[in-house]
Amino acid sequence: MIDPDAVLDARSARHILRRTGFGAPRNEVSSFTGLTRGQAADRLLAFPNTIIRPGGSSFRESHNRWVKSMVKSKAPLQQKLVLFWHDHFAVGYNKVGSVTNMAGYVALLHRHAKGNFRTLLKAMNRNAAMLEFLDTARNEKSQPNENYARELLELFTLGVHDLSAAGLENYRQADVVQIARAFTGWGYEYNSGLSYFEEGRHDYVEEYDGSPNFDRGPKVIFETVGGFGPAGRSFVVAGEGAGEIDAVIDILLEHLDSDGHNTTARRIARRLCEYFAHPEPTLAFVDEVISDSEFDSTWNCSALLRSLLVHDDFYATAAGPPYQSSSRKSVRWPIDYAVSTLRLLKMRPVGGSAQIRGGSYLSMVDHLDAMGQLLMEPPSVFGWDWETGWISSATLLARCTFARDVVASRYGSTRFRPEALIDMTLTVPGDIVDAVLDVLGVSDQIEAGERQVLIDYLSDDGARESLDLAKYEARQIKLTGLFALVLQSPAYQLQ
Amino acid sequence: MSMTRRQFFARSGVAAAGTLLGPGLFASPLVGQALASTIGDRWLVVLFLDGGNDGLNTVTPVSDGSHSHRADYDLNRGTGSGGINLSIAELAGTLVGNDPSTGAQLALHPGLAGLKALYDQGWLGVVQGCGYPAYSLSHELARMTWQTGNPQGESAGWVGRHLASSSGGYLPTDVPGVTIGQRVAPELRQSATSVLVVDQLESFGFPYDDLSAAAGDIAAKRLAFNRLYSSWAATDLQDTKRFLGESGAATLASSEIYPQLHDLYLANRPGWSEQYAALDRSTARGLREIAKIIHGNQQGVAGVDARFFQLTNGGYDTHSNQGGANVDGQHYDLHREVGDSLKVFYDDLADMGLADKVLTLVWSEFSRRIPQNQSGTDHGSQGPMFVIGEAVNGGIYGNHPNLAALDDQENTVYSQAPGLFRSTDFRDVYGTILKHWLGMSGELIASEMLVPDVAHPGGYWTVPNFDLGFLP
Repeated sequence: MIDPDAVLDARSARHILRRTGFGAPRNEVSSFTGLTRGQAADRLLAFPNTIIRPGGSSFRESHNRWVKSMVKSKAPLQQKLVLFWHDHFAVGYNKVGSVTNMAGYVALLHRHAKGNFRTLLKAMNRNAAMLEFLDTARNEKSQPNENYARELLELFTLGVHDLSAAGLENYRQADVVQIARAFTGWGYEYNSGLSYFEEGRHDYVEEYDGSPNFDRGPKVIFETVGGFGPAGRSFVVAGEGAGEIDAVIDILLEHLDSDGHNTTARRIARRLCEYFAHPEPTLAFVDEVISDSEFDSTWNCSALLRSLLVHDDFYATAAGPPYQSSSRKSVRWPIDYAVSTLRLLKMRPVGGSAQIRGGSYLSMVDHLDAMGQLLMEPPSVFGWDWETGWISSATLLARCTFARDVVASRYGSTRFRPEALIDMTLTVPGDIVDAVLDVLGVSDQIEAGERQVLIDYLSDDGARESLDLAKYEARQIKLTGLFALVLQSPAYQLQ
Repeated sequence: MSMTRRQFFARSGVAAAGTLLGPGLFASPLVGQALASTIGDRWLVVLFLDGGNDGLNTVTPVSDGSHSHRADYDLNRGTGSGGINLSIAELAGTLVGNDPSTGAQLALHPGLAGLKALYDQGWLGVVQGCGYPAYSLSHELARMTWQTGNPQGESAGWVGRHLASSSGGYLPTDVPGVTIGQRVAPELRQSATSVLVVDQLESFGFPYDDLSAAAGDIAAKRLAFNRLYSSWAATDLQDTKRFLGESGAATLASSEIYPQLHDLYLANRPGWSEQYAALDRSTARGLREIAKIIHGNQQGVAGVDARFFQLTNGGYDTHSNQGGANVDGQHYDLHREVGDSLKVFYDDLADMGLADKVLTLVWSEFSRRIPQNQSGTDHGSQGPMFVIGEAVNGGIYGNHPNLAALDDQENTVYSQAPGLFRSTDFRDVYGTILKHWLGMSGELIASEMLVPDVAHPGGYWTVPNFDLGFLP
């Protein structure tokens, strides 16, 4: 249930910080402990919109610039939302072929990250990278291209099936065709990324030579589906031409599922619950969050997120071991894993190539590629496979490599500096382990048995009762190795 | 620090899939008996063309036959700017056999010269018109249907169900399946045996720190890592936790065995390695990793028993700029990559003496719209599949779809009605492989492996015999 007045204990504070940001740093945990859920949500959502436009002379430079901005961002929740929308409105550089237009797309995600979903959809309709990626730029009246229309319905708004128990189809192929016709005539300037509408290429306007366009005229969609009745809805209410793509969005946002609930609101809210709370949100959780925030009429993403963050179900996965809840914890996304690690260790990637200067000396773009999340290059229009989809032998080794390289960064001002993180006068292995777990934000997620494994490692199975962290071996081998092990541990991969 | 097979105790896969299937299938003694050591000294490779490959510009009619296939093709595929028509002259170098029902001469896309060579060797089976009733135009739903062999929704992958059900043949400690790439291929998903995911064998070793190595700390670190993950592999609290635990433990163990396969292959077959490298394409690199594992397997490297492989080539969603027979066209380029890579792979296997032991299946989630759009094609219905190997009875199987009678979405019609255009159910292709390559009985396949399409009883397998004929 919705309970904005419940007070956060340290465990809940760590949870909300992990889920809405990059890791749970100790100082933040102490400042959030004791706040009510509502106060915490309001504080997290109060960020000013910082627009990151990661341009550059190459894809790699652009990618690294974006990652570096995340590492130093003062509004991690904005970055988490931008990543959510990037996955939702997946667009890939390989097809777009322009760093500038990809940067414009990323900037758009930043501008609308916590804003109005209707506004975001209408802006996305006209975004140069999207016009290219899903072929609206090549959508001609004589030969309509259905790519964008289909994904607009299937992925960006309604989904193929509704979330009712019956799981009925939300639209038919005829609706895809009609919406594709509405999107004819749009293009963009490659260099500026500015979009434009050319009436002569639009479906409603007849061919220059007067040849008949067989299905020119007002478009009707959703006959018998979406709660619009047997007559469906006609675009003519909004007039033909450039305005049709806005009219489509307005109609889509009125579409009701077979339970009589707003189809798109449910789908977006459910996706956000999966992203922020846990992988299997109940329909009741989704509906309560929508009704509390009135998202299905206001489309205010910030309000939706606040309702989500004060709901009991959001805290269902906060508990530590032995973890008995029926709600599964989530696997950290690779970008979250990498950025959280750097922020918690107070490190930054170095230079324009965003290099991690240890081990394999890879750039962040290569680390993330190996972990399975090259930004601006999702595997397909569906975005990435979440949860266990992130984990395989290949990507797990890539995470282990990143962890090794970060703590092996030994030189220069960006080096790994444990003395800046923990009290180096500690000598008891158990105390040192606890300090490292605390720094990395997982002290309440580790079982006693796992803690003992770490102590056994540090003490060489109890062979040494104390460590002098001022000494070379204790510091450079054992303490560094302990940090790497925690970063590589199963508990650190989850949240 | 060599590992024994016993140490592959952990399994990776998708826990949820096993939960959905329930324990019944895995426990079935029938399945276990039928599958005990059926694959023997054989291997199966599945290659997925991701995005929806345009089947009509993959296996193209050159003549009308007793119908109007070529004339219909020319009506739908334009020749002007943005046109993707493959002219009769452009297809002259890649002619294959005739359509079994109409006798129309067929040709492969000119980019598929590598496959044409395999066809001429008698090693390529072209299976036309593969689809299923009430096809989906959604990439995701269509892909899931093909990967699971189950149009009703999620379950384990069709190859994965085979792996999981081989209780007589596979121990949970075995690693029979390998995906080349970054994620476990859905075809291989299940929860009973390990599936390894390898991008490059060469860099598959566990990343220990150089200082730890110098200080002799590696064994301690390895032990701690293994204990952390193994404790999660043993827990029954949470699917995700168990999955992570099993993945970590299996990864550590295999990371200590698989990298040597790279070294072995490079030492024994340097010239062949060069041939893949010369193509400089991901499909070639992926097939080379498979060749390395098969080679190591043949050489008897301990702890290597992978028999099932999956890899993916993407980029087939050619809504625009598809290109025709021009060598710099998008579709040409994709075809050339696949054709040339498979040719090198089979040349390599032939040189190892294993070309008759490795079967490759090529599929895509759907074909594309029959009429082209401005410069490409939208999503369509049924299309051709390829089966490759020296064991294959080379030739043309299944009928070319009827281009003259499209449905209201301008796609060819899937139909099991007898006649010139009877379609091929893709599950019959899987079934033929399961029966003739993996030795399952038709009854078991129909009852346990390939889920009947209850929503379309009349449309599914009029005669499911799993004997399409491309395998002896």
